[in-house]
Amino acid sequence: MADVVFDQASRVYTAGAKPAVNRLDLEIAEGEFVVLVGPSGSGKSTALRMLAGLEEIDDGEIRIGGRNMVGVPSRDRDIAMVFQNYALYPNKTVGDNMAFPLKMRGVDKATQQEKVRAAADILGLTDYLDRKPKALSGGQRQRVAMGRAIVREPQVFLMDEPLSNLDAKMRVSTRTEIAAMQRRLGVTTVYVTHDQVEAMTMGDRVALLADGKLQQFDTPADLYDKPANAFVAGFIGSPAMNLFTLPVSAEGVRIGSSELRLPREVQSRISGDRVTLGIRPEQWGVANGDGGASAGGVKAQVDVVEELGSDAYLYAHLDDDAQTAVVVRTAGRSGARRGDQIVLTPTSDELHLFDPESGDRL
Amino acid sequence: MTVTEQRPAEIVPRQPASAGREGWIRRAPLLPALIFTIIVTQLPFLFTIYYSLQSWNLVRPGSAQFVGLDNYVKVFTDSQFRGVAVNTVVLTAGAVLISMVLGLAFALLLDRQFRGRGFVRTLLITPFLITPVAAALLWKTVLFDPTYGLINFVLSPFGAGQTDWISAFPLTSVMVALVWQWTPFMMLLTLAGLQSQPHDVLEAARVDGAGSFAIFREVTLPHLRRFIELGIVLGAIYLVNTFDAIYMMTQGGPGTASANLPFYIYQRAFLGFDIGQSAAMGVVVVIATIIVSTFALRLIFRSFQTEEG
Amino acid sequence: MAAPTTERPASTGDTRELAPARRGNRAGPALLTVLTWIVGIGFFFPILWMVLTAFKKEADAYTSPPSLFFTPTLEQFETVFSSGIGPYLLNSLFATVMSTVFVLLLAVPAAYAVSLRPVKKTQDVLFFFISTKMLPVVAAIVPIYVVVNNIGMLDNIWTLVVLYTAMNLPIAVWMMRSFFQEVPKELLEAASMDGASLWRSMREVVLPVVSPGIAATSLICVIFAWNEFFFAVNLTAATAATVPVFLVGFITSEGLYFAKLCAAATMCALPVVVAGWIAQNKLVQGLSFGAVK
Ligand SMILES: Nc1ncnc2c1ncn2[C@@H]1O[C@H](COP(=O)(O)OP(=O)(O)OP(=O)(O)O)[C@@H](O)[C@H]1O
Ligand SMILES: [Mg+2]
Repeated sequence: MADVVFDQASRVYTAGAKPAVNRLDLEIAEGEFVVLVGPSGSGKSTALRMLAGLEEIDDGEIRIGGRNMVGVPSRDRDIAMVFQNYALYPNKTVGDNMAFPLKMRGVDKATQQEKVRAAADILGLTDYLDRKPKALSGGQRQRVAMGRAIVREPQVFLMDEPLSNLDAKMRVSTRTEIAAMQRRLGVTTVYVTHDQVEAMTMGDRVALLADGKLQQFDTPADLYDKPANAFVAGFIGSPAMNLFTLPVSAEGVRIGSSELRLPREVQSRISGDRVTLGIRPEQWGVANGDGGASAGGVKAQVDVVEELGSDAYLYAHLDDDAQTAVVVRTAGRSGARRGDQIVLTPTSDELHLFDPESGDRL
Repeated sequence: MTVTEQRPAEIVPRQPASAGREGWIRRAPLLPALIFTIIVTQLPFLFTIYYSLQSWNLVRPGSAQFVGLDNYVKVFTDSQFRGVAVNTVVLTAGAVLISMVLGLAFALLLDRQFRGRGFVRTLLITPFLITPVAAALLWKTVLFDPTYGLINFVLSPFGAGQTDWISAFPLTSVMVALVWQWTPFMMLLTLAGLQSQPHDVLEAARVDGAGSFAIFREVTLPHLRRFIELGIVLGAIYLVNTFDAIYMMTQGGPGTASANLPFYIYQRAFLGFDIGQSAAMGVVVVIATIIVSTFALRLIFRSFQTEEG
Repeated sequence: MAAPTTERPASTGDTRELAPARRGNRAGPALLTVLTWIVGIGFFFPILWMVLTAFKKEADAYTSPPSLFFTPTLEQFETVFSSGIGPYLLNSLFATVMSTVFVLLLAVPAAYAVSLRPVKKTQDVLFFFISTKMLPVVAAIVPIYVVVNNIGMLDNIWTLVVLYTAMNLPIAVWMMRSFFQEVPKELLEAASMDGASLWRSMREVVLPVVSPGIAATSLICVIFAWNEFFFAVNLTAATAATVPVFLVGFITSEGLYFAKLCAAATMCALPVVVAGWIAQNKLVQGLSFGAVK
């Protein structure tokens, strides 16, 4: 086990091009489970592969256990990696696949066998040790890939979207298994995913990348509650946070013709005459549109109702501005229908305000 | 739930309505090629067997007469024939293996990013495209000529003098020319294999702690196996039939020192006009080939099975 | 620890342009590249020398040590042409093109039958085809000669067309099969659901997909047919002989004059070499039996 530090680490694939990873700073503690998340092409895989020694570190440093990894080949980094398509050796049996990293390190045959058996036990692969990867299901292959990583008890586990080839149900169960196994083994883990649910449920901390740059590195709760900028706010949470850029008024902000009052403390943080306001779907209170034409509420008309059982999502557009869509989470079976008039009021003080230019949190 | 239990336990596939006719429609496109191949390639062998039982020399018209297995007895007591058979094996196996090893090495060299890669590949495949007769001529004259040849010129600093390579080492000389022609073929095949290798598996091996040599031995070579087998089988098919190079470079000589079976049989048939004798040799060669090639076929068969599996 | 991007004071490196690192020891790869070039040039050199010699005067060709500098001349090529290579070139062209056309006409439907709509014993048929390649040609040459002689087809170009077709057919069936196997079955099923007849779906759906494969197969058939010598030398004489036969005859008539021979050999090899150069990728695709996409 070791801590991992990205210190201004950068990767440029072709000279002159935009860096795929741009001066990334991360300090990952020993035994921590860190998830790299971000939209496609944001540089997650590149960052992970730099740590793995599969991509050059063009600038800055990456340190594992305090040792600078620049120029250190993969095999000397004491890491193990689970690949998206598993990258099993097609000509080797499951057992030989798992034993391979040990064999390469000159571990004697008996110990190899013993460790492979132990790992196979944990992963429920004991019956498949003599099969070739071709004869396994997707989920089993995924386990073999995991097994190959854990047999060696490396300093750091690296995983690049290891669950993306599994069906939805397998993904959920394997997610929990991986997280539990990591806690038990206590090995520092860097995990790449584009699935924010995975990110939020698995990671001790989550690093959100966009365009090769780190947007925020925080616990899942803080990422959700205190997004560092509008991008993070919009990326984390499903359905996404409602983001409106609005003119500032005396007591709040204007949405269309109605005024949305903001708590004093929130109001005081606004400096310019426009502001980006973020309200999560669950932060709306919904009233029937006919009853209260109350001050401070926003009138909207429901377009689609997504009934999920425990909750329902209302997709609506504002009365004053049909272009502006808004998402609201309500309790399940609220009886809302398409075409209903509703009035929305923010229920929480924890509204998010962002600078409309820079996107930074106010 | 109960409904299914009333049905017969075993489910058998239903026969398509017109299986027979349908089958013929499906087979029809295959027939022209099949019939053509049988007529042009199989019938002659029947004639070969027939001729092999005759004593028939074209120089003596009307000499054809049935002699039973006489020709075969002659074939097996012909010490030249045995020598030529050994030559064939040596030439084929040697050329195939050497060109495979060289081809693999060149493919590994080419399987990297570097300036001028496409150009170097073009240079390397050219010997395979050259007409074998022209290639043999090239080796015989421009390269191996004792006085004006490039080989002796290049080797002169090492005191090679004016060795007449073709006279001194006829079989080896022929083999060198063949290796030169077939290395590109092997290289193309193994390069294709190298390039079809999934990247992530190679990376996984690196992370798992394998050095370059271990990756080659444990990951790359098993992956290449199918391509190598294919190269060996195809190379052997063509090289066993080598005729042009021997005809051009040595005429099988001195004596039969550099003759292989195709050349020897050709000599017997077209220079000795001994149809019966050469037909018998042909039959023997065919039988030997069948034995070797069932083995080879099994190889191809296996490699193509795994490919589809 | 929010937004650590701004946490670090605008680092000194921030204005510096990021560029791919050039770290580590680059001498190894450079050395390999040099080696690769040397190997490539070394392998090609005999051919280069052949072409150079073809442009030499006979006196320049016979120098020891070999001379690299000389005044180029077309003299040798003129000799080759005036000794009548023309008809031989035409014969080669005819035998090559016609046999390739026939091979495709036979091999494409056959490969289609064994891959897209397989019947029982498909594997057997495939192995029958390849096994005919394994039988040595020489064992058949005697009866072929006798038969061809008896039906008066000796020294007839059509004899070569037929034999070259048979010679290339097995390989072509195997190659085409590998290309047909890449056609997704769903494509045909979709076509038949759309109401296309067998012939239409073949022509409009399958053929476009396999046409690169057809090109690859043709190239390989062309190479082998053009370069064939054994049948040509044994079954033809003055009228139907092909270029390789011309080359051999040329040695007999002109003697071992390096420059002339090189000019003739260059003429003989040139068409196929150029075709192979242009269609290199096809060559790889075809030879690897579709293992490379
Ligand atoms: N080998 C390469 N050569 C050039 N550019 C590359 C290469 N690999 C990745 N890139 C570029 O680098 C950027 C980051 O790619 P990366 O693979 O790290 O994204 P990612 O976040 O993993 O995306 P995804 O979720 O789609 O896997 C992308 O813009 C991509 O186009
Ligand atoms: Mg990725």
